Amino acid sequence: MQNDTRLIQQLKNKDESALSLLYDKYSGAIYSIILKMIRDEGKAQNLLQDTFMTVWDKAENYDATKGRFYTWVYRIAKNKTLNVLRKNDPLIQTDDFSVYKNKEEAISIDSEYLELKGAITSLEAHHKEAIELVYFKGLTHREAHKEMNVPLGTFKSYVRQALKELRITYSKAIIVLLLILNVL
Amino acid sequence: MDKKTILENGLLEQYLLGELDVKESEQIERILSSDTELKAYFDQLEEDFETLGFENTITPPALVKSNLLNAINSASNDTKIVELKPNSNSKFYLGIAASIAALFMIGSFWMYNQLNAVKQQLQTVENEKTELNTTIESLNKELKNKNSLYAAIAHPETEKYVLTGNDISPETKVISYVNHSTKSVVINTERLPDLDADHDYQMWADVEGEMINMGVISKDKKLMAMNYIDHSESLNITIEPAGGNDHPTVERLVTNVYLR
Repeated sequence: MQNDTRLIQQLKNKDESALSLLYDKYSGAIYSIILKMIRDEGKAQNLLQDTFMTVWDKAENYDATKGRFYTWVYRIAKNKTLNVLRKNDPLIQTDDFSVYKNKEEAISIDSEYLELKGAITSLEAHHKEAIELVYFKGLTHREAHKEMNVPLGTFKSYVRQALKELRITYSKAIIVLLLILNVL
Repeated sequence: MDKKTILENGLLEQYLLGELDVKESEQIERILSSDTELKAYFDQLEEDFETLGFENTITPPALVKSNLLNAINSASNDTKIVELKPNSNSKFYLGIAASIAALFMIGSFWMYNQLNAVKQQLQTVENEKTELNTTIESLNKELKNKNSLYAAIAHPETEKYVLTGNDISPETKVISYVNHSTKSVVINTERLPDLDADHDYQMWADVEGEMINMGVISKDKKLMAMNYIDHSESLNITIEPAGGNDHPTVERLVTNVYLR
């Protein structure tokens, strides 16, 4: 996932082919996040384009020592999507900045896009939901614990626990991968 | 903020997800840059979140990418048009104008120098011309003088008398050319010994026992005309104080000749 140092340097030097390659690599994961947050394909596509425009314009602001390129792009996409959600729902916005009250009515999207895949599906339901809320739906911890109707401390331990389990799954996957590579 | 608080409060997770405000984020970044253990935990967190994201990839329509690349191209083209075209043009013209101005300045300076040089040459030429004129004038004068002397000497009725020195000045030999019809006297003083600055030779005509001044003999002329005196019986040369005397100093008579 990393090893994009050279591409990122080229991106900072305004190399369009670097942007193209980085887009090919990261757009799918970012598009998934935006879709799950905004639940509108048209808006999600605009936001995805907007996100990568910002990546292009502000590339020099990215500091590799502070974190991964993916994390940086993720934050840009999330902020842009949240801004659109808040603008579009002024009535909801007044309520504790939570944009997700009554959200179920606003679905205009193929439900397949909202389904989670991969290791997260093997987690316990409340762990899965905790991660889904903060990572895929863009809620803050403070919003999410209310959504799940559990105390903030409990919610935080859900997240931590979920991440620990994911960690185990992913390291197993790496071991399996290494074993396969060894066998080959 | 200690490590335990950060971990238990899920601050790294919230930081990663962009939930913290600027001040809190900066605090976390500071701690991460100094605490390798926390940094390692955070790196792991990032990797897991990224893997999670990639597991849920949804490929966006190709249109989004082409729109993105078009938008970037037109944006960069726009800025190119705004920044480069007028800029480079005005710079180009400015450059030309500056070059022409520089050429004019250099040209003017060169011409000014040339003008000064020519003025100076003209002045020199004028000075030389004046000098030449003066020389020609004096040469003409001299030529006229010499011509008249020559004419006087070469006249058919001119008689030649030689004044030989007496005991006071034995080496003296003055040739005098006397013409009674044209009333002229010319003498050749080539063989007249030099005198000091306080004395001059003076010539006298003897008319019935009276000595009449014929003129002071110039020290720098070899051939000169003297005053012709009517009825003179002899020519005499004496040494007198510089500038000449009213009466001859007979004791210092150096030569004389009787006229026929």
